[in-house]
Amino acid sequence: MLMQISEPGQTPEPHQRKLAVGIDLGTTNSLVATVRNGSAQTLADIDGAHLLPSVVLYGEEASIEVGEKALAGASSDPVNTLMSIKRLMGRSFADVTDVTGVKMSPYELLDLGQDMVKIRTRAGDVSPVQVSAEILKSLGQRAEETLGGELTGVVITVPAYFDDAQRQATKDAARIAGLNVLRLLNEPTAAAVAYGLDQQDEVAVAVFDLGGGTFDVSVLQLTKGVFEVLATGGDSALGGDDFDHALAQWFVAEHKLDSLDVFQQRSLLTAARQAKEQLSSANEVELALADISSTLSRQQFNDLVDPLIDKAIRACKRAVRDAKLRSDDIHNVVMVGGSTRVPRVRERVAEWFGREPLIDLDPDKVVALGAALQADQLVGNRSGDEMLLLDVIPLSLGIETMGGLTEKIIHRNTTIPVAMAQEFTTFKDGQTAMAIHVVQGERELIDDCRSLARFELQGIPPMVAGAARIKVMFQVDADGLLRVSAREESTGSESRIEVKPAYGLSDTDIADMLQQSWASAADDKEARALREQQIEAEGLLQALSAALLKDGEAMLSEDEQRELLAKMEVLHREREQGSVASIAKHIEIVGKASEVFAERRMDASINQALAGRRVDEI
Amino acid sequence: MSEFNPRENYFALLAVPQSYEVNQADLSRRYRELQREAHPDRFAGASERERLRAVQYSSQINEAYETLVSPTRRAAYLLKLAGIDSDMSSTTFRDPEFLMQQMQLREELSELQSASDPEAALDAFYRDLDAAADQQKSIFSASYLEQQFDESLASYAKLQFLEKLRSEAELKESELLDY
Repeated sequence: MLMQISEPGQTPEPHQRKLAVGIDLGTTNSLVATVRNGSAQTLADIDGAHLLPSVVLYGEEASIEVGEKALAGASSDPVNTLMSIKRLMGRSFADVTDVTGVKMSPYELLDLGQDMVKIRTRAGDVSPVQVSAEILKSLGQRAEETLGGELTGVVITVPAYFDDAQRQATKDAARIAGLNVLRLLNEPTAAAVAYGLDQQDEVAVAVFDLGGGTFDVSVLQLTKGVFEVLATGGDSALGGDDFDHALAQWFVAEHKLDSLDVFQQRSLLTAARQAKEQLSSANEVELALADISSTLSRQQFNDLVDPLIDKAIRACKRAVRDAKLRSDDIHNVVMVGGSTRVPRVRERVAEWFGREPLIDLDPDKVVALGAALQADQLVGNRSGDEMLLLDVIPLSLGIETMGGLTEKIIHRNTTIPVAMAQEFTTFKDGQTAMAIHVVQGERELIDDCRSLARFELQGIPPMVAGAARIKVMFQVDADGLLRVSAREESTGSESRIEVKPAYGLSDTDIADMLQQSWASAADDKEARALREQQIEAEGLLQALSAALLKDGEAMLSEDEQRELLAKMEVLHREREQGSVASIAKHIEIVGKASEVFAERRMDASINQALAGRRVDEI
Repeated sequence: MSEFNPRENYFALLAVPQSYEVNQADLSRRYRELQREAHPDRFAGASERERLRAVQYSSQINEAYETLVSPTRRAAYLLKLAGIDSDMSSTTFRDPEFLMQQMQLREELSELQSASDPEAALDAFYRDLDAAADQQKSIFSASYLEQQFDESLASYAKLQFLEKLRSEAELKESELLDY
């Protein structure tokens, strides 16, 4: 063991400093940050990467890869490579099927009715909570290795609009990952904290967060270290990826390419993304796919993305109005998310708010940095200039009343924690039980709101109708999480119950999941994994056979054809008799062997498109 | 946290004089002081029981502050302290002047859609609404001070009506301005 030497007067009692980190659990990327030597900094992995792609790959033999390694599986094993999982947190199947990005995801979502959706993988059916737990676990390990000790606690950020179910799911994920959650912090609040805006006297701040696939805007009021979220808004289907798509569409239209296959689309999108990034500094770039290319000026790019930025600006207008402010009341605009690096975005934001946005901190890291500052304070490392982060509840909480209507108990934008009591009575003589349905949302009709919990209050002493006084307490804690309890008051008989909303995970669920994450893959998981590999192999073989039938003669030499067919033959055999691992291996072999073929088909289809254009032009 | 007593009168808790007129700056200063002591974040490392207590205290401070900061809720709370039931569900008005004002405001609201500049018309409507509310607030304040609680109760009811109009206008606003 190394002896620790500390000089007198320097870092007094270093062992008293507790290790705490902030975690930005993002849709696309996640980060972990801590306060060291008085300043917040993000922690890198052993390869020096700060961003951890929020991707989990359930590999063979119960292996689980997270981040960059998992990302590699996105093309070879899309069914078991789970991305953008944050969109599924605390959501039922019905909630997510109309969310962009999820609908198009290659994996199989399981409809579990009111309960949170699950994803079918070779490791069995996994909950989004488990997937997020893997990401959190990986970041927690990174932090403990870097900081050389056990973490006392973590602050995890969530979007300001996250409802109870989504917050609870995030907290459960941390629990499964073995992390002690000090606080769930709203992302925009974290961003404002990172900029030290809490030191100011009384200012309104807008946080403009444009990520890869989502856009959020929040308006905060900061008063001497007290943060209040006044309003939030955004578009859950707007992000930098849409910029890439706009560029790709433009390119396709320019060259009249009408039938790009999946591979071509992917390379075009990659090229579009690169072009977008280069245009942040260059005035002109070349966008190319195989042997065709176009020059794109920044002005052209701006024209292409302006309609998308319009959407974001409209959401800003709405959020500012919801906060009962005007654009010139906003003292600071904080930029968050990689897509705010696009100069046009900054221009338009500066134009609408009438002031230059804050861009000094890395927009990818700013949320994690703020969370780290808060974590540092919560474990007691920081004293004196204490800030107080008062969040509000993003959506109203209510209960179902007669006729399928909602009665709001706690209104949205109420500062939390908050407790409200509501009295109910019986409507029948001798009634001893009463059903209570708790919902979250702004709409009048119960069906338009999110159902949080249904519970039956039992043991009411028999009385005449209307005599019982049942007091139901709704308590929302500082993380925005709800607890409901009830008590019959008139008789003093305390039939008290505690309700944890139903959509989340019960303590037994969590225990099971913990167990599962330790236990080796169960047999039924193995069987399912095998079936999935078989299906994948089948799909690949079918697609290749069809392509060979059509273009094999023209595009491959006899030797090449023979070689590919031989490998397909092996895969076919493996599909019938092989193990999960051997099928996967041969899927990969065939995939590799067919790459040349795929490339030539791509070139040919582009040439064909070009030829077609020439004919048109004549 | 020794000085905190959740059963205390909200005005006493937030250290402002018990009257309809409140100094907003004093109110929010005291509110922040209390939350700095009681907020669950201050008990992040404490036992489960202490944390639960902090959640309860902090909730009560929030409740007190939000009651006093809102002109309508503050009025209702003052009436309650004076022992007056402010449940307005069956109130009818015999005040022709107020009825007239209500009708005018409703008309203004319904005409918003066809206005040439709806945004400007909305702003004008909010101004009228504010003026009407200010009038009721000063009536409430004066009558409460003189313990003319019937009058206070009537102006409180009118405030509630005006508030309802405001939320209707806000709904219309989001329809009108397409967001």
